[in-house]
Amino acid sequence: MTQQHGSDTVVTLGGDDLTAYSNNSQLEFNADSHDVTTYGKNAHVFRGGLKNGTASVSGFYDTTAMVSPRAVIQPLIGTVVELIHQPEGAGSGKPQDKVDVLVTKYTQTHPVADYVTWTVELQFSDDVDSTAQPA
Amino acid sequence: MNLNTVADQLSARLDTIEGLRCFDYPPSSVAGAVPAAIVSYPERVDYDMNYRRAADRIEQWPILIVVGKATDRTARERIYDYAAGSGTRSVKAVLESGTYTAFGALRVRDCTFDVVTIAGVDYISALFSLDIAGPGA
Repeated sequence: MTQQHGSDTVVTLGGDDLTAYSNNSQLEFNADSHDVTTYGKNAHVFRGGLKNGTASVSGFYDTTAMVSPRAVIQPLIGTVVELIHQPEGAGSGKPQDKVDVLVTKYTQTHPVADYVTWTVELQFSDDVDSTAQPA
Repeated sequence: MNLNTVADQLSARLDTIEGLRCFDYPPSSVAGAVPAAIVSYPERVDYDMNYRRAADRIEQWPILIVVGKATDRTARERIYDYAAGSGTRSVKAVLESGTYTAFGALRVRDCTFDVVTIAGVDYISALFSLDIAGPGA
């Protein structure tokens, strides 16, 4: 078994690299379930439906005006852009999830005794391309 | 963050406080050099604040200000000036208003008072704890 440390993760949103400003990300893949149970069964029977998914990315706020999370993400709220998530970092043959996402929420948190943090929440839109990174 | 450069820049910034002698490492003695600011060693460095070595953090970098005898009224007045939240001698105000290239963010978290012994001499002191974040690589 070979563990993978999260610090190698790379994440881009709408073509902007958020990696240096991020310290946590989560991708959730799920599907609708349809109950197709018929008379005479002793247990529910289910079939899969449309796939769905969400993602969130968070990290420390950065004051760099041109590429900071605030400058990049706030204008994207309500729009559909491409999310690329590379859980083992960038490199030929390494895994990657690429999907269009609706940017649904951007949150900034300002604690008095700590650094400002940010979180963006994303709704998958259409299929996820999980093809490994090209050479 | 280059920790040597961080220590140098902290010391240089403290050196802008009139009358304060600054050491960018703990000296063996401060005899004849008080009031003095000593940039000590950080408690620890937290790596990987963000992905891909983008940021590190030092939550407790100590700065020690030693002034004089605790029984000396002048020492009391001076050390309270250094511990004040504002003013030209305020360590918090001076450090937090500085411009630095070695790191991106600095906050003076707290200040505690104690009597410290350096080279056999007792001094009233103020220990400031700094929270510093900067580039990881």
